[in-house]
Amino acid sequence: MATGISRGVPLFSVSKGLALLGAALMVVNVYLIFMVAPTDAVLGDVQRVFYFHVPLAIMSFVAFAVVFVASIVYLTRRNAAWDRLAHAAGEVGLVFVSLALVTGIVWARPVWGVWWTWEPRLTTTLILWLIYAGYLIIRNYAPNRERGSVYAAVVGIIGFVDVPIVYYSVQWWRSIHPSAVIGPLAEPGSLEPVMQTILLFSFAVFFVLFLYLVVERAAVRRAEDEIRMLRLAALNAGP
Amino acid sequence: MNELPPSNLAFLFAAFALTWVIFFAYAFFLSRRREELQREIRELRETAEGSEGQGGDGNEGD
Repeated sequence: MATGISRGVPLFSVSKGLALLGAALMVVNVYLIFMVAPTDAVLGDVQRVFYFHVPLAIMSFVAFAVVFVASIVYLTRRNAAWDRLAHAAGEVGLVFVSLALVTGIVWARPVWGVWWTWEPRLTTTLILWLIYAGYLIIRNYAPNRERGSVYAAVVGIIGFVDVPIVYYSVQWWRSIHPSAVIGPLAEPGSLEPVMQTILLFSFAVFFVLFLYLVVERAAVRRAEDEIRMLRLAALNAGP
Repeated sequence: MNELPPSNLAFLFAAFALTWVIFFAYAFFLSRRREELQREIRELRETAEGSEGQGGDGNEGD
């Protein structure tokens, strides 16, 4: 009986706490986006997509930065915990960049008149998506788990080169994409103070949700590793 | 003179709805997978403990 309790799922885990916090903050965020944020004078209501689209894109950059750092540490120390972190952040980053692409496509149709155009920001973001899709695929197609982790770490380090290219693409090439509203390229006063405050709040909300998904995905990967070890131990023990 | 910009509410709804559907689908998938794996770990441990116990009894008997 005691064994079952000690090995059971904790009633209040970190991921559950983050999920509850993220959900509560998201309710406030939606209220701010739809009830407090002013309607854009040029784009109208569809501009509100921006409060989701920009944080999703930036959080994917954060995720790929985590992959980059964790991959370097994994290659130098060969500690599986760093590989699990890189794997989790890579998958969550791919979900976030997919959502950034989807919200961007839906925004582009009424604003630009097309769903998709091969302009620098969109093209480099699609390349980013392909790099990290490849990052996850390579893990499954490697001859064994450890080699897959090493190959993926190399892709995670080299692939990160595309992140600053995506960010600076609006400055380096002629682009119809709106200019950056956050980071070194953001011009002061490019956003109304109330819009900026709501955008920052939205960043905080998506950061909590990002942490929740990474913790959850890392837990899944840890459980997968444990099952592999248990099966190996059972095989070694013999009949 | 001041013409209001079009609302494009359908696109606004689509963007938010798609975000939620994809996000919740992924979170649900992770949650389910985690539960399944934890159950599998418990079963594997119980099997291992059971076979250890049986093995121990057998050795004692021999």
